[in-house]
Amino acid sequence: MWRTIVKKELLETIFSYRFPLFAVICLLLVPLSMAVNQAAYAKRVRDYSDQVRLADEAAAAIKIQDIMAGTVAIRGFRRPAPLSVFTQGFESTLPRYYEFTQDGFKPGESATDDETILSVQGKVDFVFLVQMVISLIAMLFASDMVSGEKESGTLRAMLANSLPRDTLLSGKIGGGFLALWVPFLLAFLFGAVVLMFGAFPLAGGDTAVRVLIVLLATSLFILTYFTIGIAVSTSTSKARTSLVAILIVWAAFQLIVPRLGDMIARLAHPVRTETQVSLQKSLLVRSLDAETAKELGRQYDLIFKGAPEGAADNENSPERKKWDPIRDDIQNRARETKSQQLSAIDETYLQERRRQLDLAVNLSLVSPSAAFARFIADVCGTGELERAKYVEAVRSHQMALDNELFSKVKRTLMMHEGGGMSMSFSAQPVDASKLPRFTITPATVAETLKANARSLISLLVWLIAPFAFAYAKFVKYDVR
Amino acid sequence: MAEHQAILKADGLSKRYEDGVLALDRLNLEVQPGEIYCLLGANGAGKTTTINLFLGFIPPTSGSCFINGIDVSKDPLEAKKYVSFVSENVMLYGNFTARQNLDFFARLGGKTALTKDDYYRAMRRVSLQEKAFDQRVKNFSKGMRQKLGIAIAIVKDAPAVLLDEPTSGLDPKAAAEFLDIMAELRTEGKAVLMSTHDIFRAKEIGDRVGIMREGRLVMERTRDELHNEDLNRLYIDYMESAGQPASA
Repeated sequence: MWRTIVKKELLETIFSYRFPLFAVICLLLVPLSMAVNQAAYAKRVRDYSDQVRLADEAAAAIKIQDIMAGTVAIRGFRRPAPLSVFTQGFESTLPRYYEFTQDGFKPGESATDDETILSVQGKVDFVFLVQMVISLIAMLFASDMVSGEKESGTLRAMLANSLPRDTLLSGKIGGGFLALWVPFLLAFLFGAVVLMFGAFPLAGGDTAVRVLIVLLATSLFILTYFTIGIAVSTSTSKARTSLVAILIVWAAFQLIVPRLGDMIARLAHPVRTETQVSLQKSLLVRSLDAETAKELGRQYDLIFKGAPEGAADNENSPERKKWDPIRDDIQNRARETKSQQLSAIDETYLQERRRQLDLAVNLSLVSPSAAFARFIADVCGTGELERAKYVEAVRSHQMALDNELFSKVKRTLMMHEGGGMSMSFSAQPVDASKLPRFTITPATVAETLKANARSLISLLVWLIAPFAFAYAKFVKYDVR
Repeated sequence: MAEHQAILKADGLSKRYEDGVLALDRLNLEVQPGEIYCLLGANGAGKTTTINLFLGFIPPTSGSCFINGIDVSKDPLEAKKYVSFVSENVMLYGNFTARQNLDFFARLGGKTALTKDDYYRAMRRVSLQEKAFDQRVKNFSKGMRQKLGIAIAIVKDAPAVLLDEPTSGLDPKAAAEFLDIMAELRTEGKAVLMSTHDIFRAKEIGDRVGIMREGRLVMERTRDELHNEDLNRLYIDYMESAGQPASA
């Protein structure tokens, strides 16, 4: 009986005018969006390779004098995410690189600098198509599946037979979804073929697994929206009412709730920009360095006041023996204070962001669309997780450079009471070719799933709840 | 007519809707195998409510209805195995052909092993034009849809047939063909309960005719009794007495 219903729903959908329209939209837009984003990705990779090569050359040419002069700025570039062909996420808003100096790191420009005014309308990628086009079509397909059949009288004709209502409902969902899923699957596979022709690294690392996760999650997302459409259809007795209700529900889930979640989170927990934080850190460093220089100058003046000529340069002079440990102690304390205060700024910033993000995520979970977009962006390496990994990598790279490069030169800047300044250096040799390379350790699939537990739970709830609701409604549905 | 166990039976069947309207008031009715029972009445008399109760679409407020001895309220799915239903406007899937519609509804009716020939035979039996067999039904006339609806009932081959205003809107030729098919169903031993406004066809085909008014069966006559009475006059008399206390 179930198969009979599935077959009927499948055929009825296929014979309707909506089906070829949907199939054409899928088969054209999905591969096209993948091809366009593949080309954009390939360009970003070329840019990345060129910029990394130039940065490597610049790093290899670093001289100890440059470090002494404080003019060394090493760039660490983020490799474009291959799966950005599915969703752009933060791909173009993340800094392409970070610049590392003795005073810390600061973000470079992002790929948005290359964009035109047209990009303010949003980018057409696979996830956009699924969220904005396919989800709406899925709901529209479902809109008249119950109310439309009631209106036409065929529901009455079917239920005049020994047909359990749960069988009818699940058969409708099964058949209707299959009619949507098959063209979508074909479009996806076609898109994958297009990607492979474009030398997309499908077999590299865990990319294939991630692509499968994208396919599976998207299929379930379409099923979710289809079932929401059925739930709306079982709540009304007229197809036209269903249609209006569906458009309202869709707009709420797609346009209102996710944006509202982010807006409320931004209002409730405002967060400074990364540039502001970098500036704050720079000012702090400058202020601490000035304080240290003053303290060093004061101590130096106390020790060397009245000392014989050349005492400061003679390591064995009693003044110098007194000065060296004091200088080291002041510098060590200054370094510790600087490190603690810089970490405190970073920690405060991260906490602010975490708080804002947590609220935004929690609010957006009301919409399956937001949960889906966040999950897919993380799976594709263009989401929040990637941003966190990027920042983590930047911090550890700064530490590595501090150890391997910047600490090789010790500058002692002193500000004397009379207003004069002096500087002394002590340097160790630096092998620029052995400097650490900037790399971001990508989140594993397991990490991604764990980090997205809330989104996955939301998607699961949204998958089950509409079905349960539709079932409860349909069991008592007045078919007269 | 020999007495058999009634295939369709209403026993003190009442229905009061949520808005308080008493649509059916203690209806007692039996339809035997090989019998056509015509329910006459104005709009709102309770004819369609009776059919809806037999199909389990609405629960009774009190009383019971039985199909082939099975209480519809208690086991609607089992009861509906033994009944076919043809509505006033036979609703079919417009994008399906006549045969596809027939196949779909036959399968819902539990007939999963029927062949193309079986479907063609059923459609020939209801005099549907051969060229229409594999045409999409969206362009079918009401008469053609009605015939297909009856073909669906025929292939289900249930002992009881419920018809809700089946001749409404049919042209005289189609209505005459319809009556012929009803007569065949009677010959096959089906118990047919037909709600209708059509007094003349009810008299022509019905083995028994009941008149409903305000949810009550106010009159019942057999074919033999109607030989000596003017059903048209009876019907008008009963309708005119609306507002006065109903009496059987």
